[in-house]
Amino acid sequence: MAFSIHTNHRVLFLLPAGIYLVLVYLCAVWPAMQEQAAMEKIPQPPENELVARGRELYGSFNCVTCHTQQIRGDERKASDNDGVRVVPVLEADARFGRELATRAEEYAWQDPVFMGTQRIGPDLSSTGRRLPEAQWHYWHLYDPQSVSPDSLMPPHRFLFTTEAPTGDAQYDHEEVQVIAGLGVSGGKLWAKPDAVALVEYLLSLNREYLETEGLGK
Amino acid sequence: MKIPVGIPVFVAAAGTDPRFAKMVSRWLVSAGVWLLFASVVGLLEAFRLIDTEILADHAWATYGRMRPVHTMTMLFGWASMALTGLAFYVVAKSTLLPMHEPLSKTELVFANMALWLFNIGVGVGAVAMCMGDLNAGREYREWPWYAMAPAFASVGICGVLFYRMVARRAVQGIYISCWFVMAGCFWIAIVVLMGYQTFWTAGIPDRIIDGFYIHNAVGMWFTPLAVGMTYYALPKLLNKPIYSYALGVLGFFTHLAFYTVIGTHHYIFTPLPMALQTTSVICSVAMIVPVWASTGNFLMTMKGERLAISHSYSLPFLLVGVLGYGLASVQGSAESLRFVQEILHFTHYTVGHAHFAMYVFVTFLIWGCIYGLVPRMTGREPPIALVTIHFWLALGGIAVYVVGLSVGGHLQGESWVDGEAFMESVRVAGPYMVWRAVGGLLMFVSHIFFFVALWKMRPGAFTMAFGGGQS
Repeated sequence: MAFSIHTNHRVLFLLPAGIYLVLVYLCAVWPAMQEQAAMEKIPQPPENELVARGRELYGSFNCVTCHTQQIRGDERKASDNDGVRVVPVLEADARFGRELATRAEEYAWQDPVFMGTQRIGPDLSSTGRRLPEAQWHYWHLYDPQSVSPDSLMPPHRFLFTTEAPTGDAQYDHEEVQVIAGLGVSGGKLWAKPDAVALVEYLLSLNREYLETEGLGK
Repeated sequence: MKIPVGIPVFVAAAGTDPRFAKMVSRWLVSAGVWLLFASVVGLLEAFRLIDTEILADHAWATYGRMRPVHTMTMLFGWASMALTGLAFYVVAKSTLLPMHEPLSKTELVFANMALWLFNIGVGVGAVAMCMGDLNAGREYREWPWYAMAPAFASVGICGVLFYRMVARRAVQGIYISCWFVMAGCFWIAIVVLMGYQTFWTAGIPDRIIDGFYIHNAVGMWFTPLAVGMTYYALPKLLNKPIYSYALGVLGFFTHLAFYTVIGTHHYIFTPLPMALQTTSVICSVAMIVPVWASTGNFLMTMKGERLAISHSYSLPFLLVGVLGYGLASVQGSAESLRFVQEILHFTHYTVGHAHFAMYVFVTFLIWGCIYGLVPRMTGREPPIALVTIHFWLALGGIAVYVVGLSVGGHLQGESWVDGEAFMESVRVAGPYMVWRAVGGLLMFVSHIFFFVALWKMRPGAFTMAFGGGQS
């Protein structure tokens, strides 16, 4: 019984450790490597510094806590056999600006992928198509309830300033068209560079790149 | 009649190395401090889903950044530190090490060092996340690498110490608790290494690793440790052997086989490989085997002990925790099914489930083990009134919380299925955010009572009198 797991602590350590490593390889490392190889055949999307900065901020403010970027698709409901057109699980998801489920190609080269696990707020995978106005996003970031009553989103007023930017700052700030209900005293508001980048990123979520590459809509 | 509880604890504690008792107690008190801190943050977040203006003018305190401060501090500051501290005692006792010196002087230094490394990790992590350095929101690994590194090193040190304790055990057989502790330390090390090596993946592979990480961090660390602690504490407190040792072994191996591969059930209906999705659903259902092997084992051990449980202040926590383990896991298996996911994925229901599992299962078992075992180590019992208030407030709080979010989540999901305007799903879940905050408030208050009770149990004059030879 020298090698019994009940009496030999080396066996007790090595056996579960070994089994675990094999399973980890099979269920995580190996499929990830396969999918990585498949993904690398897809051309990298064009670089845009402002969008990249906005994406970084999206991560830094942890927007993914409340917003998904995925329309779940049910392959069992596929309308044709080309494997591309997958019908959303929830019909109502069309309101997020798209008729079909998100596909692997849309996530290519994203690191991390902001798929999300909760929808305290709406899905953002096609925000740029659904809400193409930068000004709307500025209003919404400054005071979400002004354009979306009953929203649970906290205001992000710290991304704005009421002091007119001077010098070089004039070029990276954006003036906000103040609307009634925003509650801006003085009537002038500027989006700080972080807000500009964040909105630029949200507007970039429009799937245009996929269409120009012929990767479907 | 057997007297399973209320054995004068000072008899059990007599002769325990006071430095060892202090070291374990430091782990538990640290965990208690993080529990209070994380509860405040969680409560703050709950209230912000009612009033969005709370702390709205500070980027560091924005909802998205505070959420991982709550989750990460609860997971790693509270549950991990409490379980690691308890593991020192349980491994020492179940390997029959001499309690006057279970760890050598050098080993004690390392154990204390591990304690401070862990505390540094939790503290640095919380500050870094407020500053926006939160690993781009990768769930349950929002600590930047420089916060996870000390905690990782800490668990590594503890893993080596546990291994050494088991290696020099004074008994031939290795008790099942040690199986779970030793394996858990190794498993979490691999999980963290996998989760923090993100350079080689992007796109779909990034989510494959994410699904693996999210679920393995929970199931290959908290579950084995909490279950392992219970395998020691429950028979000890009832003063009888475990119902079936073989069921424990079955639970251990089936847990390893099934839990490892279920991560992808967080990404059903996504472009992740279909084979992986289906495997994860099948294994999620198969989780019923390890869960009920252990839950059934615990319940059968408790069978016929109603009097003991009703007269004990620690066993009710274990009873709730054991039932929580069985029920939360069955709920998890059900949630992985595709027709359930259609409605409940993305809703508050999931948050209710997460709290059900981490609170009713893991946290109640930790409390049961602390109240049951710490007095046997320090010779000091907590004031029973405090423990009673703690128990009922915590149980009431989590009940309000889970019921509220389950109902609210259902209504939210139904609203999406019915195709109502999105804002309607926010409105319909609104009242249940109040349930959430009220439940959270009750839990937070209970944690204050727990902390006071924990403080009263800290090693003091008594251990000194018996262990250190002073009066």
